[in-house]
Amino acid sequence: MSEVLTGGCQCGAVRFATKLVGRGSICHCRMCQKAFGSFFGPLVTSHDGHWTRGEPKWFRSSDHARRAFCGECGTPLAYETKFGLELAIGAFDHPEKVPPVIQVNLNDKVPFFDGLTSLPVKDDVDDEWTSFLAGVHSNQHPDHDTEIWPEPEKEK
Amino acid sequence: MSAEATLTGGCQCGAVRYRAAKAVQYVICHCRMCQKSFGNYFAPLVVVEGLEWTRGEPGFFRSSNMARRGFCRDCGTPLCYLGEDGGYEVSAGSLDDPSFGEPEKQINVGAKLPVYDRLPDIPHHTNLQGEAAFNASVVTYQHPDHDTADWPLPKGGHDE
Repeated sequence: MSEVLTGGCQCGAVRFATKLVGRGSICHCRMCQKAFGSFFGPLVTSHDGHWTRGEPKWFRSSDHARRAFCGECGTPLAYETKFGLELAIGAFDHPEKVPPVIQVNLNDKVPFFDGLTSLPVKDDVDDEWTSFLAGVHSNQHPDHDTEIWPEPEKEK
Repeated sequence: MSAEATLTGGCQCGAVRYRAAKAVQYVICHCRMCQKSFGNYFAPLVVVEGLEWTRGEPGFFRSSNMARRGFCRDCGTPLCYLGEDGGYEVSAGSLDDPSFGEPEKQINVGAKLPVYDRLPDIPHHTNLQGEAAFNASVVTYQHPDHDTADWPLPKGGHDE
């Protein structure tokens, strides 16, 4: 696959691009859970990943690895070891283009993981919820590269 | 959900720790803002009452006119969603015990990624021996899953 895949953090201060991606994975280890604030870390190997705007901050999470995040908004961006760089799949502009094909570190899997897909769905879309969503003005960077960010009219 | 249990948690490096008096709701949010903010497919959020920061304070990004999102400035861990009404929702993965209860429902499913529904079906890694050997060799700098009286900050340190 030779398509350029792009992504970045929520605020847009850090952006990345990659063409050569490997295997996407779901890592259940407790360190990924903590670093992502979630039940697992979704990561894809990148052989040519590079930062196209700004630079992330790095936290050395163990003697084997360091983790990249945006210093301005916190978005988890990458995990790096001597074996290479892995990018956070949710930070891609189009996460569906890097599907996970394997689950690892299942010993730490949260007990309700397999039931996540069958959780009830909030479908009682009431007026309060609708008006809340209608009133949201997002400061999130769009899901594509931008020449200038933030947009001038959004600066206060 | 053991709503009366005291909930503690914090970031990966241990610079920020919190305690909440009560969990009110446990949801999976699929909205694109939660996806991006968490670098993930969704955000697991626990609506809490009586939140206090017991060590350090998070940085906040104003993600919209309706909310701010708290994270650790030293290690990046997504910690909370703070609504304009002052209500806190903490990231489930930052809790010392994310399995204190179970998520109750999914919200904003209009933005749900197709991969979500096949998460349990993704094949499992089979080289368990190799995985165990690698894990055994790791010296973690992650804060333990309980409060600590003292914690060198940040233990891992930064590569600038």
